[in-house]
Amino acid sequence: MTHLNPIVLFFYFAAAAGISMFSMNPVIQIFSLAGALSFFFLRNAGKRTGMHLPLFLLALLAALLNPLFQHNGATVLFVLNGNPVTKEACIYGAVTALMLLATLYWFRSFSELMTSDKILYLFGRISPKIALLLSMAMRYIPLFGAQLKKTAQTQKAMGYFKEDNAMDRIRGYMRVFSVTVTWALESGIVTADSMEARGYGEGKRSSFAVFRFYRKDGFYLMLIGALFLISVYGLATEAVAFQYYPTFGAQAPSFISTLTYIAYIMLAFLPTAAEAGEKIKWKYLQSKI
Amino acid sequence: MEILTIENLSFYYPMNQTPTLKNLSFSVEEGEFLTVCGATGSGKSTLLRLLKKELAPIGERKGEILLEGSPIAEVNSASEIGYVMQHPEQQIVTDKVWHELAFGLENRNLPQNEIRRRVAEMASYFGMEDLFFRDTSSLSGGQKQLLNLASVMVMNPKILLLDEPTAQLDPIAASDFIATLHKLHREFSLTVILIEHRLEEVMPLSDRLLILENGELFAFEPPKEAVKKLENRADLLLSMPCAVRVSHALSGNGKKEVLPLTVREGREWIRRTYRNKIQTLSEEMLPKRKKVLEWDRVFFRYEKNGADILSNLCFSVCEGECFCILGGNGAGKSTMLGVTSGLLKPYSGTVRLFGKKLKEYTNGSLYKQNLAYLPQDVTTVFLRNTVRDEFEDSDVSLADFPYDFSSLLEKHPYDLSGGERQLVALAKILAAEPKILLLDEPTKGLDAYAKAEIIAVLHALKEKNVTVIAVTHDTEFSAEIADRVALFFRGELISSDTPKKFFSENRFYTTPVSRMTRGYYENTVTVSEAVSLCLANGEKGEKE
Repeated sequence: MTHLNPIVLFFYFAAAAGISMFSMNPVIQIFSLAGALSFFFLRNAGKRTGMHLPLFLLALLAALLNPLFQHNGATVLFVLNGNPVTKEACIYGAVTALMLLATLYWFRSFSELMTSDKILYLFGRISPKIALLLSMAMRYIPLFGAQLKKTAQTQKAMGYFKEDNAMDRIRGYMRVFSVTVTWALESGIVTADSMEARGYGEGKRSSFAVFRFYRKDGFYLMLIGALFLISVYGLATEAVAFQYYPTFGAQAPSFISTLTYIAYIMLAFLPTAAEAGEKIKWKYLQSKI
Repeated sequence: MEILTIENLSFYYPMNQTPTLKNLSFSVEEGEFLTVCGATGSGKSTLLRLLKKELAPIGERKGEILLEGSPIAEVNSASEIGYVMQHPEQQIVTDKVWHELAFGLENRNLPQNEIRRRVAEMASYFGMEDLFFRDTSSLSGGQKQLLNLASVMVMNPKILLLDEPTAQLDPIAASDFIATLHKLHREFSLTVILIEHRLEEVMPLSDRLLILENGELFAFEPPKEAVKKLENRADLLLSMPCAVRVSHALSGNGKKEVLPLTVREGREWIRRTYRNKIQTLSEEMLPKRKKVLEWDRVFFRYEKNGADILSNLCFSVCEGECFCILGGNGAGKSTMLGVTSGLLKPYSGTVRLFGKKLKEYTNGSLYKQNLAYLPQDVTTVFLRNTVRDEFEDSDVSLADFPYDFSSLLEKHPYDLSGGERQLVALAKILAAEPKILLLDEPTKGLDAYAKAEIIAVLHALKEKNVTVIAVTHDTEFSAEIADRVALFFRGELISSDTPKKFFSENRFYTTPVSRMTRGYYENTVTVSEAVSLCLANGEKGEKE
């Protein structure tokens, strides 16, 4: 997946997470979460990946809150403080929790795969000007921060800030901030010179990217597109619509609903399959080295 | 074939009656390496900028500039004329190395495939494959400047203009840069016009030397001829390689012979011309003085799991002493100054100032009449809009400073030249009347004139018993001012000695004069020492 063109990656995550977000079908949510989790953990196998528990607790909270505030539903399980807690509301909450978790894990994988240069590339497809602007901003913001810190340190070593006077310190830091803005404008002149010296502003410019569009990207784009369209068709025709209140109600299984489920399951597990395939292929290639 | 022709070029800045450039006429051959030098304000940068129409300063221009016979205004200057400036950091436009290389080609609206090929070609020629996907901000100064050169070369220019490209680099990165430039010139017969004040290395590569003085052509000929014109011109000689300075100081009495330019030629010239009966000058011993700053087994690192930047650092500095620290990049020299100035806290060991631990100085008392720190980037010293405002709060009157900068009072600190800025920043530091002065690369980016001024100021401070600790790459500078010199290596100070001993025993970290005279004379590290030894010995063939 890492080596796919950013456009394909972006489209994939938009499709997989988007369908999951716009459907309340429990089957789709279960497979969306399964797909998101399997891909995330396969990619990060054996690595420390930071927090998981808080995300699950957040989902649990969402699942519990719904039946407390939502009293629709025909089947009353018990009464809490004079309010009925229904089975339908509990299930609805659980499905919401699944959707929340699935979306969170799709986004975690997304932000791992889409590094800043890939996002810039996407913007560059839309407008070369925006791409350049973003690229310059990405460069300037850390530079500004570094200069700010350097100036504050120098001033500190000149006894500019008094340790026991907060007002004085705030005033001092404001002065440092304002002089760093002057510095940024001043060094911006040099940058502008350097841009002009290399022909910036002399008419139309192109936007170069290191990412190329290979045949493999085309294949994946078509596959994702087809699966996405089938799923959307299933959602739009309400073949996979699911009713929670007042009682559960689902459309009778049909050819279209079966097709939709198969399409979405394939979509959700596509990255896992691709990643696993790559890992196996890599093991095999490695054995030949 | 002439590639660039300049005819009767004069230039006036707006509101200025006197021309900055006066009636210049010269032409540059294709494939020539031309070095331009001259004092600050002699019009070097103005001349170079006029050759590049996008950067031409606003003002009145007279005369013609022709590139291959056509006026400069009609030339596709963006790709035909490459321009590299002084500051490595500010010239970079984008956040990734690959994007920076492609920037100029994007501006020409070239197709993806052509950009891909040319960028790849340049990256491999400059040995940047490993840096290709890196953030530009993560590169070292030398790498940044090579990237700037590469992203100009990718446009395939016919002529390359460079305005002090190595001024902000350390000596090793500067040598790398000059070597790359030489390679481009040699392999592609690229025409190069270079403003430079590190003439030591550039002089042997130059086909011709253009010396500007007050906007006029002082000399425009091969280096060997040009240096002959410098007789009795101490001001212009100051920036010349030390072989030229030594030989000029010795043969000022009208001898016309081929003068040496490089260390090797200088060495041969001295051996051929002078006797070596007296091998060394007597050295004054320093009186014992009390210690003012003591380091006791100091350890420092930036991150918990990082490497030690300072490890087991022990040394002391005496009152009124000038202590210079040399060492490679990233050895921890600046970190050491940071710890000494109390900005960084060591995790073990103590630093004592006047016998008192640094952390016992509270509420800024460390920085009042005790210790002052001049950082490498002196722009961080200034907070106001004019030089006068900078000194508004200080108790010291302007007349009390060891040098005069009253002509600069109304200027914005950022508008000062490199040398002026350094002097004003130093003055601002001195306003706190420090007894100990910490200097980080005080001669970086300065030309020979400004450097001489800084040296004079430091000598004056020494008279006043101010202790100076300077971190520097500049061997000639430290040979001039230091009482002791030390080498910083892997977090420790290795071997501290008097400059004479230190530089005459080192092979690489040493002055050009020492390399020129070693084996023939002993302990000779500065130009004036070499000159007085030669004079004391007398010429060969003369009666003793």
